[in-house]
Amino acid sequence: MNIQGNRLINFILKSYIGLVFLFIFTPIITSLVFSFNSDRFASIPLGSFTLKWYETIYNDPDVWDAVRTSIIVAVSSSVLATGIGFCTAYTDFRYTFKFKNAYLALALLPPTIPLIIMALAMLAWFSKIGTSGSIFSVIIAHTVLCAPFAMAVIRLRLQQMNRDIEAAAWNLGATEWAAMRYVVIPFVKPAIVSALCLTMAVSFDEFAVAWFVSGLNKTIPVLILEILQGNVDPQINAIGTFVFITTMTLVIIAQLFFMIRSQGSENNTNE
Amino acid sequence: MNEPQIEFERITKRYNNTIAVDDISLSISAGEFVAIMGSSGCGKTTTLRMLAGLEVPTDGEIRLDGKRLNELKPHERETPMVWQSLALFPFLNVQKNVEFGLKTRGISPDMRKERAKKWLEKLEIADLSERRIDQLSGGQRQRVALARALVTEPPVLLLDEPLSALDANLIVRMQSVLSRLQRDLGITFVYVTHSQSEAFAMADRVVIMSKGKIEQVGTPQDVFRRPASRFVAEFVGSNNIISGTVKSIDKDILELETSFGAVFSQVSNNANYRTGNALDVVISADRINLSTTDLAGNNVFQCRIVSEQFVGSIVSLLLELENGQEFRVQKQQHELDRINLQSGQTLWLSWSTNHAYILDSSSNN
Repeated sequence: MNIQGNRLINFILKSYIGLVFLFIFTPIITSLVFSFNSDRFASIPLGSFTLKWYETIYNDPDVWDAVRTSIIVAVSSSVLATGIGFCTAYTDFRYTFKFKNAYLALALLPPTIPLIIMALAMLAWFSKIGTSGSIFSVIIAHTVLCAPFAMAVIRLRLQQMNRDIEAAAWNLGATEWAAMRYVVIPFVKPAIVSALCLTMAVSFDEFAVAWFVSGLNKTIPVLILEILQGNVDPQINAIGTFVFITTMTLVIIAQLFFMIRSQGSENNTNE
Repeated sequence: MNEPQIEFERITKRYNNTIAVDDISLSISAGEFVAIMGSSGCGKTTTLRMLAGLEVPTDGEIRLDGKRLNELKPHERETPMVWQSLALFPFLNVQKNVEFGLKTRGISPDMRKERAKKWLEKLEIADLSERRIDQLSGGQRQRVALARALVTEPPVLLLDEPLSALDANLIVRMQSVLSRLQRDLGITFVYVTHSQSEAFAMADRVVIMSKGKIEQVGTPQDVFRRPASRFVAEFVGSNNIISGTVKSIDKDILELETSFGAVFSQVSNNANYRTGNALDVVISADRINLSTTDLAGNNVFQCRIVSEQFVGSIVSLLLELENGQEFRVQKQQHELDRINLQSGQTLWLSWSTNHAYILDSSSNN
């Protein structure tokens, strides 16, 4: 009875996971398949295999501009966001002070704000200070969006650090800066790499805020929408596949480094 | 007497409303092995951390070689520490861990390697130098922590319960490693522990702390045989503490009236005891003799065995007098074989008048 019950639960859970994957991956795989399809309109049966759409985007200077913008934005904002995230996580780890909870809540706030509202607020603010439409605006906006993710990842790693090891470094003659450089940063390094990849992926994919503040410096998601507004064009599938592979790679790298965290953290039990 | 190397002068450490260390003064000479002992929360670790600069005293002055330390940051002091958690750097191998203190002092890589090697050899872990920390056993990690702290050849080594994570066999081995190391190097060891056996086995002097205050400073023998207060007498374990009132004093023999009869103790002639005063008398568990026949004389009481416990070659007995007063007695196994003990048997316990130590009544309030 019990075993049969377990089997049933097992079956239901497995089907559930299967369905989740089906819903997530069907559109992506469809897009991937049609990106190699010669027909202009997505329909079954498929036409012949072609690289024509990849050729189109390869020869389109607008796509290259967008890729360049996206990369600049993603790299800059991931570095900034990881830097800020590290500082917030470290202050949380190291110090106790009045209103610390308020400080942490504020640091984690951005993802809880609806993107549209955030995007509008950013647009209003950047127009006011006259930087709207510049690439810096997109970088700043994405940094704000990404910093909490970086902080969360780095904070988890810091929580695994034995508090004594930083003090041990001071005790062995390291200034606070030297202890930071030789002990704290090496310890959290996997989380820093993970945070860089994760925030890069978030920035690379982000559409709403970029659409509002990017002006002529279009990122890839903004470009995709623009092409779509014009007409239905299978080159979208090709761009989509490219974006999907880039993002997935970054997220997988982030996950791999994130998993290193348990290894290497000192535990004090002895055999 | 040579100049003290480390001095705590009226040191107090307060956190918000709680006092961790309460107005303590302590001098330690160069080359001494001092153990600070007490139960958890007594302020012993805070005292050590103040010496390392990890806590700043609220009041008082700490000096090393006559130089005031209070304002120095941890990295400006030569007071390396062996941590209870060991606090080895998990992302560095053994060699790099040991080299750390040299690296922060700007010593060249070649020199670092050479000096680290010397200490790795001294602690018999040279063959592990390329290992990661998580590939080491508890005892090996302990040695790495020691090498890392000693590699800068400091005048003082601080040890914060370094053996608490090890199993019993290893503790005894590391104790002899530490004792030998301290003798060979001739540097000062300040050792914090809650374990009486560790403190007594290694230290030249023991400092007993309770509730942020120092209860007694003395050699292990002093603390064991002549506890300064009832707290110390209870803390150092196998003592019998008897309360009573002074009935008479005849020359150097004091007669104490207790719940189970008259107890006689030797006192020095000039001691100031008055008839009617309340007193505590301490008799060490190992100072009590047992006999199967009634011996006439003072300090002899009939009793029966409540329980016995073997600890290696030593047997701990719990005895009870007719009125319920309990006595703890420790005997060598071979001594007990001689009197052929049987359970439920009636025995007589006794002690000599000069083995009953009178606690200083002023410290008991």
